[in-house]
Parts: sequence; structure tokens; C-alpha cells
Amino acid sequence: MKQRRQVTLYGLTWSMPIVVWQLIFFVFPLIFLLLISFWLVKNYRMVPGFDTVNWVKMFSKGYFWDAYWRTLGYAGVATIVTSILAFPCAFALAFKVSPKVRRWALFFLIVPFFTSYLVRTYSWQIFLNDNGIFNTLFALIGLGPFQLLNNFFGTLVGYLTLCLPLVVVLQLISLANVDRTLVEAAHNLGCGRLRTVFQVIVPLAKIGIILGAVFTFILAFGDFVSPYYLGGSKPPTLSILIIDTTKSGQQWPRAAVVAVVMILTLLTIMFAAVGAAYRKRT
Amino acid sequence: MSATNAPRPLVSFDAVSKRYGSVIAVHTMNLEIYEGEFLAIMGPSGCGKTTSLRMLAGLEEPSEGEIQLDGQRINEISSVERDTPMVWQSLALFPFLNVQKNVEFGLKMRAIPTEERQQRARRWLERLEILELADRDISQLSGGQKQRVALARSLVTEPRILLLDEPLSALDANLVVRMQGVLSRLQKELGITFVYVTHSQSEAFAMSDRVVIMSQGRIEQIGSPKAIYRSPASRFVADFVGANNILSGSVTGTGDALGISTAVGHFLCNPSAAVDYSEADNLDMVISADLVQISMENPTLQNSLRCRFISEEFVGSIVTIFAELEDGSDFKVQARQRDLANMALEEGATFFASWNASDAHLISPNKA
Repeated sequence: MKQRRQVTLYGLTWSMPIVVWQLIFFVFPLIFLLLISFWLVKNYRMVPGFDTVNWVKMFSKGYFWDAYWRTLGYAGVATIVTSILAFPCAFALAFKVSPKVRRWALFFLIVPFFTSYLVRTYSWQIFLNDNGIFNTLFALIGLGPFQLLNNFFGTLVGYLTLCLPLVVVLQLISLANVDRTLVEAAHNLGCGRLRTVFQVIVPLAKIGIILGAVFTFILAFGDFVSPYYLGGSKPPTLSILIIDTTKSGQQWPRAAVVAVVMILTLLTIMFAAVGAAYRKRT
Repeated sequence: MSATNAPRPLVSFDAVSKRYGSVIAVHTMNLEIYEGEFLAIMGPSGCGKTTSLRMLAGLEEPSEGEIQLDGQRINEISSVERDTPMVWQSLALFPFLNVQKNVEFGLKMRAIPTEERQQRARRWLERLEILELADRDISQLSGGQKQRVALARSLVTEPRILLLDEPLSALDANLVVRMQGVLSRLQKELGITFVYVTHSQSEAFAMSDRVVIMSQGRIEQIGSPKAIYRSPASRFVADFVGANNILSGSVTGTGDALGISTAVGHFLCNPSAAVDYSEADNLDMVISADLVQISMENPTLQNSLRCRFISEEFVGSIVTIFAELEDGSDFKVQARQRDLANMALEEGATFFASWNASDAHLISPNKA
């Protein structure tokens, strides 16, 4: 009996740091954020209290809902585009190349994370602006100039910069674990090559594909850098709305409302997606 | 199968070879597989048996030679287009589909309408006695049940040939025997060709009409289980199949009383029509362990050897005795346990092993 208690104590002691860390830096701030959303601002100063006025105000504003659906749409498009662009690449790396090439590819997919995302995003401006590298090249063949910056295309380029390497890696890991015998079995049962990809390989690599999509959605949904520097910050996404709200009249409580709504949205989508990823049948 | 009414070959391998770089997995293989037969391909791992099966299924392409199915060259026909369903060692069931959907898969690929597809799948599930599992997940099935699902999935398209790649090797011994019965019965009822790759002699012998023994990419012998067991064509087959004793020696008398002189004595054999020999030729003499009689004082049969008892292996009614000859080589004897009951066989004891001249089988050592 004493033995068992010691073991439990030992386990508790060593698991404590992560619990304390999570409490201090995640749970408490989250509770604090939720509380702030009910506070009031009087004479540009926050006053603790409990009033639903911030929630009512934000939910009744057209610009809030516009930003909400826009952000949801941006993140959705980013998720679909990233997943579709990543899949052929991950597929080729998993099935068509030698293990040596695969190792090098993995290395080069991780290298982008060596530099700051902000720097990478910012440098896209040189490529995308009206006199940038792309438009100069287009001009050589008599095309353009195209508007590549300060619109959704620019934002999307930023999202892809952030997510594409990660999604390729996640999909690759899943695809590399697909049992080749099952692929052969599909062929053996009369399932053509392309059809096998969708009927057998995608369901088998489902977890990696969905995880990649979830990461893209989360990163794009909360991203500030791409819509601000490449998308031109207007019309705003929710993260830009948060900044704007805090700047105009110290409205931290209303910004907290936006943040809480974002967190709830992401949690819902995450649980749904992870649930779908681990559900047995298709 | 009489020679005049020979069934026509459904499959033929015509000088088929398969190379992986400098490694030759299958070496100029010639084989005809007949309509409606149960053929086992047997050999140690790496002998080319699975590669042969995979070439037939279109999962590997022959480096040389031609494979014909029903008289048509199929080398260039992709695995997808051939109707040569296979049952894998791992069974290769789709984990993301339930039992019914797994069985329907092949029909779905052939664009069979949903209703007919479901009916046909259920008919096969019923035939394999797993209809009540139709809605289960694959992960909820036992080994034997998975086996039946894999069979149903392969047979649902009603193919003329079924390929099986060591499908029973993951099952426990009792279940293996039961599934052998299921497979045998199924093959007879359906009347289609089964090609069964295995390393297990008991599986191959229990089910098949003919057995192909392979070694290092080459066919060593093709024949009925009995022919393989009693008349091995080469030293490899004699070693690989059954419990055989092989004594090498030279011919010391031809004609009716063929004599073989070996390091452990001189023995008489019946002349063999299958082997060419003349005076002083080297020959291998195969004596099956179960044709040897054992006695303590005097030998009971024509040819005899003095042996020293080393150990015994007891598996129910049959006992295998491992002994040593005068020159240190091994000798095996199989006997019924009740016949040994009153013999004082303990370590170091000497006894006589004897056999009839007619029970020794001759092979030419150059066919090694």
C-alpha cells in the first residue's frame, strides 16, 4: 500500500511542471479573458464588473459578423487550397521516390521554419507588388500588371507560406505508413490506379490529411501577419479586428469578446475534425 | 487424371524468369496449371514461390518468358485488368470498410449495380458462414473470421482462378486444420483453380492435387503429394519433404540385385527405372524414416544399420527417434509409440534400423 502511494507521488511530482505551466499560461489567462469580456470601459479605463453589454454590442454590429464570416471563409479556402496543393507532393514523396530523396525532401520541408514567419511573409512583397519580380516577369511577355498584393490572393500566399511545408510533412508521414499490400489488393480487385488513390489511399491516410487541414485552419483563422502585410488589412479579419478594437478607445473587453468567439469556433472545428479523423469507417 | 483425357491448362508459365538487379528470383520456370486443380507451390523462403504467384497476379512483371491465362499472353495486362484475385498472408482487408463493404469492393469496381452487389456479397458471406458479421468492423473479427472475409472478397467476382499466398500462416494450429477443410471443400464445390503458396508441407499435402517444389528460383519437382513424398526427384526434395534419411554411395552391382556401397555399409536396392546408373556411379539412396523398422538384438529386414540412440521427439502416436550412425552422420526413424513401449531406448543405447530393399528410393546426386 505504501509502495503504491509512493509511486503515485513520484508520478505526480514529475507531471507537476506541465500542469502548473498549463494552469498559469493557458487556463488562467483564458478564464481572465472570459472575465474581461464582461468588464466595462469608463473614461478610457477598464472597470471590473459583470455586464453583457460588450457581447450584445459586438453581436449586433454588422462589421463583426462580416469579419467573422470572412475569416471563416479565408481559413476554409486556405485549408482546401493547402490540402490540395500538398497532396500530390506528399503522395509523390511517399510512393514515387527513393528513401534517400524522401529524407532530403523532409529536410528541405523543415528548413523554412528556420526563419521567422514574419520575415518570410514580408519578403513576399518584393515578389508580389505592382513593380515586383512577378509583374516584371509578366511584363516581359506582355502581360499584367496583375494585382497580387493587398487582396485575398496575397493573403493566401501568406497562408501557404505558413502552412504548406507543415501540411506536406503531416500528409507524408501518414502516406508513408500506408500498407502497400492494401494498395496491391485494391489493384488486384480491379481498382484502377487513380481510383485507388481516392478509394483506398486517402481513407488510409485520413488522419494525416485531416490533421494537416486542422493545422491550416487554426493557423489561418488566427493569423494576423498575412492578412495585414499581404492582404492589405482591409477588409479586416477577426485578428485585425481585435487590434483595431483595442486601439479605438481602449475597448479591451470587446476585443475579448472577439477572442472568445474565435477560441470557441476553433475548439468546435478541432473536435469535429479530430473526431472525424479517428472515426473507423468512412 | 489419365493422359488421354488431360485437362487443358488454364495457366502456363513458358520459360519465365524474374530478376531484381543481379538477383534471380525465378529462373526459366515452366509450369502448366490445369482448370479446376488445387496446386500448391512449396519451398523454403526466398525460393521464388511468392514471386511466381505475384507474376501470375500481375503484381510483378516477368523479366523474360511468357505467362498465358486461358491461352492468352497476359504479360502486359495490368493487375487491375486481370481477374486473378489473391488472398494475402496479411489478408489485406480494408480497415476503413466493414465486412460487407470489403466483400462488395471487387463488384463495385466492376460497376455492378448496388442492389445486385449487396445480394451477391451476402450470398458469399452466407456461404462462408459469416453473414451475421456483415456490419462488423474488420478490427472486431477473429483471425478465422478475417480469413473467411478475405476468401469471400476474392471469390465474389466468381473468378476461374484463386491465388493464395500463405493465407493460413498467421492462424493457430487448430484453426489451420479447420480452414484447410474449408478451402478444400470450397475448391471442390466451385471447381475452380486454386494456386496455393506455402512453406508448410502439411498444408500443401493436405489440400492439393499436385505440388510444385521450388528451390532457389527453380522448380525441383512437380507431382502428386504421394509422388513427392515417396519418390523425391532430387536430394533437395528428399531433404525438404518428410523425414528422410539420405545415404550416399557407389553402385557395386547392377541388374536384379542392385548394390550400393556406403561409408556405413553395403545395401541392396530394387533397380530403379527412373535413374540411369552403371557400375561405380555415385547414387543417393533415400530411406523414409517411417519405412524403417527398429529392433534391439537382430535386424528384422534385409538392409540394416547399427545406430546409437540420441533423442526422441514425441508427438502423439508417432515418435521420431534421432540416432547417430558409426560414421557420425544422423539417422531418423519414425515409429508408433506403442511399438516402442517395451524397448529400452535411452541415451547411448544401440539398436538396429532395418528396411526392405524395395523401400529405398534412388536419386542421382548430380540432380542436387
